Amino acid sequence: MKHKIKRSASLLLTTLVFSMGVLPILSWVGIAQVQQKQNSQISTMDKQTISAFENRVKNYVKLRNQVKAKLPKLSKSSTPEQLESYRKSFEESLRAARVGAKRGDVFNTEGSDYIRRTLKSEFKGKDRAQLREIVFDAQTQAVKLRVNYPYPEPTELVEMPATVLLNLPQLPKEIKYRFVGHHLLLVDRDNNLIIDYMLDALP
Amino acid sequence: MRRFVFSLLILSLVIFGSLPISHGQSAAIGSKVAARANSSLKLTLPVKEGSLRFAVMGDTGSGTDKQRQVANMMVQYRNIFPFDFVLMMGDNLYGSESAKDFETKFSDVYKVLLNDKVKFYATLGNHDLPMQINYANFNMNGKEYYRFKKGNVAFYSLNSNYMDKKQLAWLESELAKDTSDWKICFFHHPPYSSAKGHGSDQQLREIVEPIFLKYGVNVVLAGHDHVYERIKPQKGIYYFVSGAGGRLRESDVQTSPLVGKSN
Repeated sequence: MKHKIKRSASLLLTTLVFSMGVLPILSWVGIAQVQQKQNSQISTMDKQTISAFENRVKNYVKLRNQVKAKLPKLSKSSTPEQLESYRKSFEESLRAARVGAKRGDVFNTEGSDYIRRTLKSEFKGKDRAQLREIVFDAQTQAVKLRVNYPYPEPTELVEMPATVLLNLPQLPKEIKYRFVGHHLLLVDRDNNLIIDYMLDALP
Repeated sequence: MRRFVFSLLILSLVIFGSLPISHGQSAAIGSKVAARANSSLKLTLPVKEGSLRFAVMGDTGSGTDKQRQVANMMVQYRNIFPFDFVLMMGDNLYGSESAKDFETKFSDVYKVLLNDKVKFYATLGNHDLPMQINYANFNMNGKEYYRFKKGNVAFYSLNSNYMDKKQLAWLESELAKDTSDWKICFFHHPPYSSAKGHGSDQQLREIVEPIFLKYGVNVVLAGHDHVYERIKPQKGIYYFVSGAGGRLRESDVQTSPLVGKSN
């Protein structure tokens, strides 16, 4: 046991001594360049579809912010009790304000078609094998797809691949895309409610 | 005006890794083990006067004996390596996140350090609810990604769960004006890793590494894989994986040309 502990202690610490020298100067492929290329490939019709999707998102954000404004303000240095209480209050109030919300309210047919096409192009090819691994290896089987219900708390949140996020319509900070298997969800960051979802978003 | 001639800076960095102690041992045994280990603590760090000292831990929030054992070792080592703050690589709370969970998976476990005014700076992992950004002890100040400075070192905590355009734009804009001698980024998913569990997050690397290179980021710290690994410098950047703070995956690091040191 003593030997094990010594070994673990030696593994435990690593020293780095850096001296500041010449920083590497390497070629840079700007994110902006990638985006510019992508934007130029979007048709006028798709631009209208994206704009309409973003408007529906804005309407949701407006509603959730109205609900939020009626709640006690959450401090940026809260206690766990304050966090738990706030999340529950926000969830309950917003669910009440969105009674009748249904699948497709945000992800309508045209918007879903556009997103499916976008994802299909991102998820093809051998070099995209890791994207599929990230999404499909995640333990999200427990997630029940129900609009206006919370994403279950103990369930892993799948990393949204950065290369995919750069191509999807942009969302305000309050809303996140989330993959659950082949399906794509919109989830509220601060109360974990599933705002909407689209089935078979991934090929 | 940015200085072009940098003075030599010695940065001491401790990566707190794993304990190869089998599952199921009680916390009491863990304490005894830590006490025995205390007498044989070894430190090869220079501990130079004026150097910045901090600890790095990742994937901690299991609430298990293993997490407590690592925490005990951190306390022991702080006696000979007085670090002022701790960087958390995400997966700060596994499973449920009730008020009680914040205690059993964090504040009770690191009570000695918290009482000693050691600050913890967190980043979000794939098991963390974003609401954690408002938890006082994680010092995220309500932000998913943020920057703070200690001496001449700038730290960037990023949200690798959700590396969207806004975050990338923020990172570029902050780095572009950053004149710190050292720039260290930390986030959950490792751009390089030799672990079988997850391995290198290549799609993330594809997006963030060009930014790190352009703006002279020196060190990148991550977790996600439940191991310790120091990657051989990649394009001049020092990458580390420190994700064994609560759920060790023993012998998970594969033989790879990337590995500088691992356990």
